[in-house]
Amino acid sequence: MISRVADSCFWLYRYMERVENVARLLDVNLLVVLDTKTNEQERWRPVLIVAGEEPRFVQRLGASCADDAQAVQNYMVFDEENPVSIVSSLRWARENARSIRDTISLEMWEALNAFWLWLGESGHKSFVRNPHHFYSEVKEQCALFHGLTHNSVMHNDPFNFMRLGMLLERASQTARVLDVKYHAMGPSHPDKESLEEGIEWIALLRSCSGYESFFKKSGVQFGGPAIAAFLILEPDFPRSVLHCIGRAVNFIQRVRGTTPGPIGARAADLLGALYARLTSTNIRDITSVKAGIHKECTRIVEETARICEAMRLDFFDPPLPEMAKLTKMGSMFQSQG
Amino acid sequence: MAKSKKRSKQAASNVFSGYKPLKSCFDELFCASGAPQETLEALVRSIDSIGAAEFKARQKLANAAFLKGGITFKVYSDKRGQEKIFPFDLIPRPVSGQEWPRLERGLTQRIAALNMFLADVYGEQRLLKEKVIPRELVEGSKGFLKQVKGIKPLNGVYVHVAGIDLIRRPDGGFCVLEDNIRTPSGVSYVLENRRVMKRVFPKVFAQAKVRNVDEYPLRLREALTGIAPQGVAPRLLILTPGPFNSAYFEHSFLARSMGCELVQGQDLFVWQDKVYVKTTKGPQRVGVIYRRVDDQFMDPKVFRPDSLLGVPGIMGAYAKGNVALANAIGNGVADDKAVYPYVPDMIRFYLSEEPILDQVETFICAREKDCEHVLANLSKMVVKAVDESGGYGMLMGPQASKKERDAFAERIRANPRGYIAQPRVEFSTCPTWSGTDMQPRRVDLRPYIVTGKDSWVLPGGLTRVALVEGSYVVNSSQGGGSKDTWVMG
Repeated sequence: MISRVADSCFWLYRYMERVENVARLLDVNLLVVLDTKTNEQERWRPVLIVAGEEPRFVQRLGASCADDAQAVQNYMVFDEENPVSIVSSLRWARENARSIRDTISLEMWEALNAFWLWLGESGHKSFVRNPHHFYSEVKEQCALFHGLTHNSVMHNDPFNFMRLGMLLERASQTARVLDVKYHAMGPSHPDKESLEEGIEWIALLRSCSGYESFFKKSGVQFGGPAIAAFLILEPDFPRSVLHCIGRAVNFIQRVRGTTPGPIGARAADLLGALYARLTSTNIRDITSVKAGIHKECTRIVEETARICEAMRLDFFDPPLPEMAKLTKMGSMFQSQG
Repeated sequence: MAKSKKRSKQAASNVFSGYKPLKSCFDELFCASGAPQETLEALVRSIDSIGAAEFKARQKLANAAFLKGGITFKVYSDKRGQEKIFPFDLIPRPVSGQEWPRLERGLTQRIAALNMFLADVYGEQRLLKEKVIPRELVEGSKGFLKQVKGIKPLNGVYVHVAGIDLIRRPDGGFCVLEDNIRTPSGVSYVLENRRVMKRVFPKVFAQAKVRNVDEYPLRLREALTGIAPQGVAPRLLILTPGPFNSAYFEHSFLARSMGCELVQGQDLFVWQDKVYVKTTKGPQRVGVIYRRVDDQFMDPKVFRPDSLLGVPGIMGAYAKGNVALANAIGNGVADDKAVYPYVPDMIRFYLSEEPILDQVETFICAREKDCEHVLANLSKMVVKAVDESGGYGMLMGPQASKKERDAFAERIRANPRGYIAQPRVEFSTCPTWSGTDMQPRRVDLRPYIVTGKDSWVLPGGLTRVALVEGSYVVNSSQGGGSKDTWVMG
């Protein structure tokens, strides 16, 4: 498929994943604030930190506003100058979709376009009236979009690149949320946790849609280390880092085909290395120490960024001289139908 | 008596209640008396009976369908990404099945002549040598590109896709107003309008026996794959300037409906006079490009060096016959508005036939006598820049102020070759919903002609409508809308 189109597929899903993640994060926060004693100062700033937006927010709106529920939510939902706000992510998702209208299905486009139109009008009203309801609607529209996509496009290259975008974004996001929460609320005494801390952990699980899954996993211990291990290493949990990376390995294999050429080797190697590390036996030790968690999460975020960059160089924006070299190498030189 | 009273009461809520056709021109649905045209009685009755309130509701439904589908026309580059739908009017514009075959023949004839003209102008130049048309007029055209002299497109076709603008005179006869044979747009609206009309007016539609338009993408695909260079798999691509182009919706629409890929200039490169597309599996050879990028932007090495929309070196590949481009490069010389008056002569010269379709009397300001006449009668004339489209660069003499006319006269004197003028034609109206009631508004008709081995005329076309009261300008950039065109029976 055309390189630029692959790039847009990849980013379309990354942006949609961000929309959903931000909505869930804000929603969970909003609910927790209602019935915990933690003051708001400790409550809303982490949202900005997870998004990597704290410095820009403080610079634009002032440090004192970082404690303000309304200001942070406005910033994360409707601020067009915030590159990771819901409105920005959705706009870019739609722009990407628009540029590949010939590739995506009509159903996908109509769902996305309706979502965009909704956000500017009734969505905005819903947000003002009842933010919780608004976040639910956002999540539902995302689910609708993904459901329609899954059932209306061919599961070939464009779809594979979309899934890669989603999985890499999700792996990185889970690591980020875990890191920030662990850092901010991590247990000082891993074995003795207060009720407050328990509520924090539940909120963390909910931020990753993992509350029920975690408790269904019978026999697991409740508490920081167990939850960290679950979010990073549980192979069957759809938002765990290991699950996402494992799926991404499959998808990149599909993209490269049964007899992979040199194209895509860098991204595939990096993905394979990360997967190997996450499945190695000694990684479980890391999840028992707070510093280890932080280090591991940082590493995951950095490595997924490196994989995305390799994807760009391999598939999306290959430098021309290299392309010409490949044509000289022969096999690619054949005309193809 | 009682009967007529009942009728008028009922009429108050009907779709066409109170509709009065203009006296000066033909109306597509009604006679001058106010009664429906004889052949259209059933159609008018079935629309009328929907009732004004229900009609309004359906117009809303249609607008919502366009917006949701992102079937939008203007794209502003501001942050909100505002897009407007191309205004769509629900009253269909009928063309009778009796008059359509003649139009088909006339359009096919015209395209054949224009195609032969292009082959001649960039080849032997017989027409110029025999002085059927002045050489300086042709070679002085902005659309005449000396860079393509001697290049013969594969299969000899220049005009793969044409959109010829027709208007209907007060006597009911069609005539050609303008040829669009570079990159005519609008066909996607023909297909989308139809899709929406079927949903909104299923009953009216079913009764009217309208000819189907869905064949277009298949016909186009067939014509385009037929011109692939020998020995190259006919990988067909559509080249678009990108999502910010006002016709981007159409580009993506055509790619989807033909099942081919949509590319931008950056996706392509030329190596050893062959065109390749960058793919995730490496570069792949390209056979045919349906390009929707203007000539001047196609190749920065040959034309505008600042163009980022084209592909450096593509003209070399084209000249060698390694890639087919549709439409051919250099077609602008044939739809130059100052060349238009000579099309009937071309038909006689190349085909030894009489033109089937009439066209509008045109004064070429490059000819001294014509220019004098135009300047003396500016208040009766429509003046157009020869190389503009979209309703830009024109003067509507009868509606313009004296100041505007004087200013335009200056421009004509400064560059007579740049302008032509035509008497204003009182072209036909069609009932159109104004928001509160039904009003007569001017309409034109742009049929599309696809040429591969033979020419095929899409049974229908884009009817554009001037939504502003009293306006003669139907272009979408000037407040025009569109209607579904029904070729009936």
